[in-house]
Amino acid sequence: MTDRFEPAGESAFSEDRKPAATLRMVLRTPQGVIGVTIVAVFLLSALFAPAIAPYDPFQINIPDRLQAPSLNHLLGTDQLGRDTFSRILYGGRIAVQLAGIAVGLSLAIGLVLGMIAGYGPRWFDNLMLLLFDTIRSFPTIVMAMAVVSLTGPSLEMVMAIFVINAVPGFGRIARTQTLALRNTEFILAEHSLGASTALILRRHIMPNVVGPLLILAAMDVPVVITVEAGLSFLGLGVLPPTPSWGSLLNEGFRILRDTPWPVIAGGLPLIITTLGFTFLGESLRDVFDPKLRKEP
Amino acid sequence: MTHSKQGLSRRGFVAGAIAAGPVLATLPNATIVRAQGKTILNARLQRDITVLDPGYMVGGTEIAVQYAVMPRLAHVVNESGTFTWAPSEYMAALSQDDPTHISFELKTGFMWTNGYGEFTAEDVKYSLDRMLVSDWKDKWLALDRVELSGPYSGTIVLKHPSPAIWLTTITAGAGNLVCKAATEDAGGQYTTEIPATCGPYVIAEWTPKQRLVFTRNPDWPGPMPDFDEVRYILVDDDTAAELAYEAGEVDITRVAVSSLPRYTQNPPPDTNVTVAGHLQYAWLGMNTEHPKLQNEKVRQAIQHAVDVDSIIQAAYFDNAPRSFGIVPPGVFGSRSQASFGYDPAKARELMAESGVSGLELELKTLNQQARIVSAQIIQANLADIGIATKIIPLDSGPFWSLGRESKGDEWMDAQIWIMRFGGALDPLDYFQWFTSEQVGNWNWERWTSEEFDEIYQKLATETDDARRLEMISRLQEIMDESAGYVWLQHEPEAFIHRSSLNPVIVPTGEYDFRRFTAA
Repeated sequence: MTDRFEPAGESAFSEDRKPAATLRMVLRTPQGVIGVTIVAVFLLSALFAPAIAPYDPFQINIPDRLQAPSLNHLLGTDQLGRDTFSRILYGGRIAVQLAGIAVGLSLAIGLVLGMIAGYGPRWFDNLMLLLFDTIRSFPTIVMAMAVVSLTGPSLEMVMAIFVINAVPGFGRIARTQTLALRNTEFILAEHSLGASTALILRRHIMPNVVGPLLILAAMDVPVVITVEAGLSFLGLGVLPPTPSWGSLLNEGFRILRDTPWPVIAGGLPLIITTLGFTFLGESLRDVFDPKLRKEP
Repeated sequence: MTHSKQGLSRRGFVAGAIAAGPVLATLPNATIVRAQGKTILNARLQRDITVLDPGYMVGGTEIAVQYAVMPRLAHVVNESGTFTWAPSEYMAALSQDDPTHISFELKTGFMWTNGYGEFTAEDVKYSLDRMLVSDWKDKWLALDRVELSGPYSGTIVLKHPSPAIWLTTITAGAGNLVCKAATEDAGGQYTTEIPATCGPYVIAEWTPKQRLVFTRNPDWPGPMPDFDEVRYILVDDDTAAELAYEAGEVDITRVAVSSLPRYTQNPPPDTNVTVAGHLQYAWLGMNTEHPKLQNEKVRQAIQHAVDVDSIIQAAYFDNAPRSFGIVPPGVFGSRSQASFGYDPAKARELMAESGVSGLELELKTLNQQARIVSAQIIQANLADIGIATKIIPLDSGPFWSLGRESKGDEWMDAQIWIMRFGGALDPLDYFQWFTSEQVGNWNWERWTSEEFDEIYQKLATETDDARRLEMISRLQEIMDESAGYVWLQHEPEAFIHRSSLNPVIVPTGEYDFRRFTAA
């Protein structure tokens, strides 16, 4: 059954919403260009950190500790004499890993649960709403601090906490979109032609629901990075000596009155990356929802 | 829109402020102020008071308050670099007549506040008797009884000789004395309101979470303190306290060890740095019973693998003396050499001899910057000899439960950790936590030695210095031989203060306000 009824222009991935076309539309605005550039630099620097980093980020060199930026150490060194620039690059890998896995998982789980809630039986919808609202009533950072205090700090735990907190957001949007689509003519037609629920959800609902979720995902990337940074700043995130931007900020904060460079070096990538993903998310929103697009 | 020619215009204000700036900048920022003819000292309080009763206090800040307003028999003095005791201003006579008898005679005329009459020997007896049933009774284990020979005189009788009692108890917080009648009226104990005081200062005001103010006691017959008023201002955080000092809000504050180099090399104007003592002792502990560490060669390898000098340099900015055992510098019996040291080649050799490979350990530590930095150096050092280490930072609750059997089963998983204890001025105080009895309580390393226990018991009653020194040396050797420790450093109790102030701070870090003087 390949010749299914599918109204043109309804799917997020219809002809003018394919990734290449979407990117072209994003790049039409200065905000989009800045966002894409920052995100690209962020991803590439993280991906190629081992090639770019001038030093081993774990190599302790006590005599060189707390150096100011120089040609030898572009962003100076930390309290253990480790090269801050190299640690920033490797910290970016942690951020990418965390953001990719945590946001990806949240999106996938939220999408599935939201679609089932919107298309499935009423009792399941009510159960999901109750679950989503219950989880969302816990502030992420507070929940994270409570759980990490009990279980001990780890990157995996930070990811798990973020996923648990982010799923309701994705789930609610997926549910709302599914509810809006479930009684549309093309879905009803599919249903009357005998298509299974799974097929309808996968082939027709999901492509139409995933667009808004991608916007939310782009917006959530800086959130998860800052949550990790916040937890690491409090000493509840990644374990030493793994470099993360939050732990770099934490270490720098302790010696701020001796040297400001570790805090500057740890804070700047966090700010810039957050800005980049926010710009990208807003640009994507403008593409997927032209009604919200700002007129020049 | 018109501008009034009258009053202060915005431009005029800015110009005035610019002109006033240099003038204000030339004023001293010292806050040892003379207001309405009074000299006022502003000191930083690190933690708010909770219980001021010597029998039930937490310690630290409470002891500083007690020192200002309560009597005691003796206080600590530093004589040519060695800490010893001297009779307090309340005493007409105080002496150790023999190893188990301390006689005292009080001066007359020291009056309790709130109309509770004169400070007498009855108060001394009541104070010491109640310590025997208090939370701090362990400090007075040697006390048998107090015999009174007159209204102002008596004898403290000990069960056995206790040379440590002077510096660990009589001169410390547990040696502060209370008013019998007032304490009984208060129901036998009290918390933040002392029912009667007898010192050069009285507590004029306590605003919880803010400050505590002492003013001179008008009825005090003893030597008058230099300051009319002492404001003990609460600033929890060390960095905030340093900023408060630099802004002139306080005249004296404890500083973090990481800040010491900055203040030593480039002090703010009119500032001196004082190190009161180094009575903290830190070590890397190893659970000798843990299956991963039962092999003594592995533990010895770790003893030789840790580069303590790098830890002191990176985590403590070269401001903490290196430790060679648990007895800190300045305390009788302190060593200048341990039986092991940093020797990575020897460490690798010992690892090879142990036959253990692929060892993975968990290093648990308090989640504090200096400890985390130390842990990372240890991690790198152990990696050099083939031991993979995972650092687990813990909050104080879980950390302090780690090796204690009464707190759960965590002690079974405890492998290695960074620990720091603090002690008093007598070496006996330091060994008490490492006896066989303490296994499962504070002896987290879980080794036992009959010889250690026996020497420790003898040390408590030994009065001959040469023999004591021999015993203290042997006790530290036994600890080395257990291969349960890598000695790290002795963190200093460091303070910055106005150079016009001569502070008196006991080596454990408490202020003795009554002996502060203004230059």
